[in-house]
Amino acid sequence: MAVSEPTETKPVVQPATIGADVAAGTAAGASDIDAMLPRRRSRLLRFGVPTAVAGIALVVLGAVVMTEGTTWVRLSMIGAGLLAAYIGIDRVAKAVFGATFDTGLWMAAGWLALITLSAAFADLLPLSEHEDVSKTLTVTPMLTPDLLSSHPLGTDSQGLDVLGGVIYGARVSLVVGVGATVLGMVLGAAIGLVAGYLRGIVDAAVGLVGDAMLAFPPLILLLAMVAVLEPSIFNTTIALAILTVPTYIRLTRANTLLFAQREFVLAAKALGAKNRRIIVRELLPNVVLPVVSYGVIVVGALVVAEASLSFLGVGVQRPTPTWGNMIAAAQSRFESDPHLVFIPGACLFLTVYALNRVGESARAVWDPRQREL
Amino acid sequence: MLRSLGARLLRLVPVLFLVSLGTFFLVDLVPGDPAVAILGSNATPEQYEAVRAELGLNESVVTRYFDWLGDTLRGDLGESLTPPTQSVTDLIQSRLPVTIQIATMAMLISVTVSIVLALAAAYRPGKVFDRVTSGTAFAAIAVPQFLTGLLLIFFVLFHTDLVRWFVLVAGIAGAVLIAVRAVGGVTDHPPGNERVRAAAIRAVLALAVVGFAVLLFARFPEFPRQGFTRISEDGLWPSLRDAFLPALTLAVAEIAIFMRLLRNDLITTLQEDYILSARAKGMPPWRILVRDALRPSSFSLITVAGVALGRLMGGTVIVETIFNLPGMGTLIVNAIGAQDVRVIQSSVLVIAVFYVLVNLLVDLSYSQLDPRLRRGRV
Repeated sequence: MAVSEPTETKPVVQPATIGADVAAGTAAGASDIDAMLPRRRSRLLRFGVPTAVAGIALVVLGAVVMTEGTTWVRLSMIGAGLLAAYIGIDRVAKAVFGATFDTGLWMAAGWLALITLSAAFADLLPLSEHEDVSKTLTVTPMLTPDLLSSHPLGTDSQGLDVLGGVIYGARVSLVVGVGATVLGMVLGAAIGLVAGYLRGIVDAAVGLVGDAMLAFPPLILLLAMVAVLEPSIFNTTIALAILTVPTYIRLTRANTLLFAQREFVLAAKALGAKNRRIIVRELLPNVVLPVVSYGVIVVGALVVAEASLSFLGVGVQRPTPTWGNMIAAAQSRFESDPHLVFIPGACLFLTVYALNRVGESARAVWDPRQREL
Repeated sequence: MLRSLGARLLRLVPVLFLVSLGTFFLVDLVPGDPAVAILGSNATPEQYEAVRAELGLNESVVTRYFDWLGDTLRGDLGESLTPPTQSVTDLIQSRLPVTIQIATMAMLISVTVSIVLALAAAYRPGKVFDRVTSGTAFAAIAVPQFLTGLLLIFFVLFHTDLVRWFVLVAGIAGAVLIAVRAVGGVTDHPPGNERVRAAAIRAVLALAVVGFAVLLFARFPEFPRQGFTRISEDGLWPSLRDAFLPALTLAVAEIAIFMRLLRNDLITTLQEDYILSARAKGMPPWRILVRDALRPSSFSLITVAGVALGRLMGGTVIVETIFNLPGMGTLIVNAIGAQDVRVIQSSVLVIAVFYVLVNLLVDLSYSQLDPRLRRGRV
């Protein structure tokens, strides 16, 4: 019956494929079986290596070599190549690191590392002018992407380099996203810890203010705050941090309540520890992991929020490039030059996707309440 | 029931009070002199004085707040501060319906589509359909709304033929898949009337899929790039058509969120004993999913749908900007550009109150859906 196996978990090794080995071997644990499988491993490698190489070759062919080809053909070549490369690398990685290796997760982490490093060392990279319009008077505007030229991702309508814009935009996104998350986390966790431990009137007051802030839809609250602030990177960070505070208060409070009843807190109290010591030394270390692991997902949400504000023209303004304001600027020529929208858009998507992916696994490991659900 | 309603309403009073206080002080939070912010630096002293008097800045904060609150409760939100001067109440009255229509349509689309997808995924968990939809949903959550909107514009408006052919091919492929499955599926039923009926249902389903695809291919609606037709002007259809792409833009991420949630809850519910007993009685799987498992699995969906309405109300700001619709979102964004604090203040307040009331309704609907909540802990 179809509905019958809801939580069917895939066995790490398929018995059918390893019949001979198991028959030859003795009763062994899963990892031993894994180690005894040279045949399965070599088959994975035999399939994986050529697929990965062919995929990468297809991407290179579509992106660099066939510069004369039709856009659609090249794009489908790149797409198919990326898919093949992913499948191939996945097989190879599973063969090398074991069948439970999560290739997608590591690729997500890799993308985050790439974007963070290039944003951090952007000043050292040989990028063309991306910010000052007066320096691009001699540059041809609206160059199409050509990975081997000095404008690998092309130029926009004012001759500004798109790759440079994307990398410096990553800097804004990451600084704002991470900065606001850390700020909101510290504030929210402090308030939530105190409210969850002291309970009573403090808890009620904090809960009320939190409820009032959550009564505004997030983007509306953000717009209201932005309306009274000068648009700058610093102010955007502050507004986004305030936005996350009530959520962090709730999260920290809920986790504090879990631990405040436990015996070690009672023991500390019986030993005469002051409230401050209990909160900082007993509760904080237990609460910090779930709160921080949730932070990765919050960074993703705030990167989107920052991009939305820039897109609406009320966030970080030109000449500072951000993914949001690059997309907004490219909107007027969207039909003829969609790549100006899709390049920063793809960076935004990949970054948020990677943050969600990494954040989900962080929460699965570190958040006790998440594991129960 | 009435007592719990009363308690909830009572809890709302302090929240709404704080909300009104927050929006009221928005005017004072503007750095510098509000009059200068509104008029610019080139006005005469008399003009500044007039604006200050209009804002009531010469009176004490408490008087100003209660004057403002009294007016607001009577439905008078004052006049906009930047030209053209008009009643903010009228402005909001003309704008709010557009936003509500888009948010409602988005909600309907996302709930319907996500229920269908979640049922189909939970029907055979871990199989191809389930894995593809779950993976796609996880990716769809990471697409910002403005990007979804631009992608829809790119394909549906700029490359309409591509979409039409895709619909046709997908429809025919879907029907073929249903037919192939039917050949195996029908023989599960005992020969006679029941088998004929099962075959007929599958045939109708396949025909409906093909018919819908062909209809869409032949008469693909001409969605506008921007602009909006109100419901009253020209019947229902033009308005629904104009709001469809904006609503779909908002719905995409919500579909993904709802679907993941409902799928997981369905799979948990399907492990309950009463499902086993229904199956033992020989109930067909689809009937078990829809009649027995769906309702008890839908509670977290309803909670999340309440929260999602807040995202939708916020998200309309973005789709209204992209599709240039005369709703609350463009009103707020334009008011921020013009530094018209009063319009911002009033719009934010109206949206927040609306959101709070909808969440109250969501809370109350629990006890209607779950009899266990009607008595006991409320």
